Amino acid sequence: MLIRLSMFALVGLALYACGSDAALRVGQPAPDFEGTDTHGQVHRLSDYRGKILVLEWTNHECPYVRKHYAVGNMQAQQQEAAAQGVVWLSIVSSAPGKQGHVTPAQADELTRSRNASADAVILDPSGEIGRAYGARTTPHMFIIDATGELVYMGGIDSIASTDPTDIPKATQHVRAALREMAGGKPISDPVTRPYGCSVKY
Amino acid sequence: MRPGPAQLLLTSLLIFAASPLHAAPSITTEHATVTLLSEQSGADSGGNLWVALHFELIPHWHVYWRNPGASGTAPVIRWILPEGWEAGQIRWPVPKRIRVGPLTNYGYEERVTFMVPLRAPEGPPPQGPLKITAEVGWLVCREECIPEEGRLTLSLNEQRRDPDGSPDIAAVFSRARARWPEPGILTGRYRLEGDALAVSVDAPVLSAGAVGDVWLAADRWGPIAASGAQEWRRTQSGLALEVPAGDLPPVGGSPLEGLLVMEHGAAPGSHQGYRVRLAAPPPGLRGSPGLTLALGFALLGGLVLNVMPCVLPVLGIKVLGFVNEAREDRRRLALHGWLYGAGVLLSFVVLAAGLLILRAGGESLGWGFQLQSPPLVGLLAYLMLLIGLNLSGVFSVGDGWMGVGQPLARHGGLGGSFATGVLAAVVASPCTAPFMGAALGFAVTRPAWEALAVFAALGVGFALPVVLLSLWPAWVRVIPRPGAWMSRFRELLAFPLYATSAWLLWVLSQQVDASAYGAALAGLVGVGLAAWLYGQWRPRGWRLALTGIGLAGVLAMATRPLAVAEPPASADERPLGQPWSEQRVRELIDEGRPVLVNFTAAWCITCEVNEQVALGTDKTRSLFESRSLAYLVADWTRRDPAITRQLERYGRSGVPLYLLYAPGLEQPRVLPQLLTEGIVAEAVEAL
Repeated sequence: MLIRLSMFALVGLALYACGSDAALRVGQPAPDFEGTDTHGQVHRLSDYRGKILVLEWTNHECPYVRKHYAVGNMQAQQQEAAAQGVVWLSIVSSAPGKQGHVTPAQADELTRSRNASADAVILDPSGEIGRAYGARTTPHMFIIDATGELVYMGGIDSIASTDPTDIPKATQHVRAALREMAGGKPISDPVTRPYGCSVKY
Repeated sequence: MRPGPAQLLLTSLLIFAASPLHAAPSITTEHATVTLLSEQSGADSGGNLWVALHFELIPHWHVYWRNPGASGTAPVIRWILPEGWEAGQIRWPVPKRIRVGPLTNYGYEERVTFMVPLRAPEGPPPQGPLKITAEVGWLVCREECIPEEGRLTLSLNEQRRDPDGSPDIAAVFSRARARWPEPGILTGRYRLEGDALAVSVDAPVLSAGAVGDVWLAADRWGPIAASGAQEWRRTQSGLALEVPAGDLPPVGGSPLEGLLVMEHGAAPGSHQGYRVRLAAPPPGLRGSPGLTLALGFALLGGLVLNVMPCVLPVLGIKVLGFVNEAREDRRRLALHGWLYGAGVLLSFVVLAAGLLILRAGGESLGWGFQLQSPPLVGLLAYLMLLIGLNLSGVFSVGDGWMGVGQPLARHGGLGGSFATGVLAAVVASPCTAPFMGAALGFAVTRPAWEALAVFAALGVGFALPVVLLSLWPAWVRVIPRPGAWMSRFRELLAFPLYATSAWLLWVLSQQVDASAYGAALAGLVGVGLAAWLYGQWRPRGWRLALTGIGLAGVLAMATRPLAVAEPPASADERPLGQPWSEQRVRELIDEGRPVLVNFTAAWCITCEVNEQVALGTDKTRSLFESRSLAYLVADWTRRDPAITRQLERYGRSGVPLYLLYAPGLEQPRVLPQLLTEGIVAEAVEAL
């Protein structure tokens, strides 16, 4: 009888522990995801084990995203990352009918016209991936290291404005983090303030 | 988005149309009309002038608070002022929560006024018109966001012709002030618990009317996640909240500053804001064992448990029982051992879980605070005494359970080994009770996972010998033969517990006056008597109930005086120090004397050391005398709320704290927590 009681108690404790939604924290395994890109290919987090992965939440109509794309800041960082062997995924979590929602064709056209070079643009209209990562703003950046651990989350840079002239004055957090990782050093600012428009779930 | 050429032209035309002057105090964009207003036509005698940026927004669109929440940005103002003028910080009105899907922002809808104080330079006010220009950038959103900007110019010292339909300026300013947070700052504490912050606010101001909802927002991004549900409840001293932790907690023990908003139940839409400053949890409590130490003790305690009279004799038998079961199969034997260990661990963890559930039902304060409540100190002293008496053999507990385990354990097989483990804790309860009691005393005030860890360590220590023996059964020979030495060892263990009881009684003596202390000591005798009676007669049934009631009565009588007792007259306790009060500090400073305030408490060992080594020495005393320095002591042993507030003002939730005041110093100098004569001398001589 006592054993049965103990079993119930243990199961109860386990359920209680699992039931609560743990908030995302740097230093913990990044949540797995499964997303389809504009060419219909499925991407999973586990596909990128062994590589550094950058996730960029984006909405091409948001003034803060436009700031970075208009002067080529985001595109330059995407190219630098590619040269380092880092995988860059842009993710659109806008729900159908909301600002930023795009069809695969529209997304590809935007990639072409803006000269973007993310490895893939993942369309997440249900918002599942966005919610798993707690993506709040566009842009909102996450860096996951080769072991699948989240090592950076926050803004693309340090000045929350829509003025492109602020870009040279700001600390480019993602670029700095990737440089530090390449040099084998710990990331000096692993958590920064993400700024931008709200993700249109 | 950046306005195109057509919009720019339209906006310029509007600007020119809005006012006869070239530079206008008002701008109308697609979503907002923003006006720069000044309360007076010039600076007042103190050189201050309030100006305001008044926003009229189109329906359903909003602008943001200083902390915009999950997304967005607060309005930004760049001032271009006449020579020598300075602009202060924006006075932010209390925002509302604006939800966009699963995200929450803090902002304002319909209209909002941001007031900013300007300061004129010294000297006579210049004649002629003065131009005040504000370059404002703001983000206005409904679901989508549009960044807008404008340049507003206001002329002072001029005849103002109010255009038709402009707002009554005085009314705008008074309405703006009405939406400010209440004056003053509420203090409190916060503690990180997993993904949430447990916050307590000292808020005696709870309006008599129904409070609809209460929520807490941090002044900056980081500590609190804006989206996410918050819970709140009233407590004795104010409010307790549980809010989701943000991406980044405050660093280095710095306080969390923010806004507590209370929404009125009766008038939806109306709310009041209170500025709060929450102190960080203390980094490590002086005088109390750290977690690793506690875990070490628990492990050791578990091991020691195996040599208790009720465990040791059966230890060998248990292992031999496994050996018989498993016959020659070494792996099966090891499996028996592991299952036994698992059973033990499970029962200890379940016990801890039960304790935590009980505790969650009650209110829990921090470890350091616990020693401030005299009834609790008294009860802890009694508990330690009882455990000591149990170990000394005056009475024993749980003998009736000893036989319970046997039939189940005899079931045999792997399941039987597990059952043996589970019941081992219960079966050995006459001996485990003291160890459980001590672990309980420690764990009851710690966070849940620490308490679980301590009990688990106890379990591990307890199961370890049997598990090891089942892996290497040859060592069964090494088990010491049971004998009288076991009882003597157990009796010896009583003395550390008596010593703990004595220490607690010393703390109590600092907290209550002589007559209440006498009552507590008498209670001690009563407890001892009850223990002996129980041990002699082993009452059952109604006799047991009667004894229980009698003991409860004795405890109540002994501890009641503790609850209401005054602290002891301490005039001759500390010949150096006068008792502290804020008024006394002010009086002394007005007299022109420097003041050193020592915040201390009886259980604080660091404070004691500092007093011995730095503050109470002859050299320091003569230094104080030569400087005419007044030395005040704020004794927190009895949880004085005035002292608690003062500690929190300096971001502390515990002692020690040393403040050095001097006439002419705006803020007192905070001395380090570890003092030496040199540090004190250097600080005093620098005044």
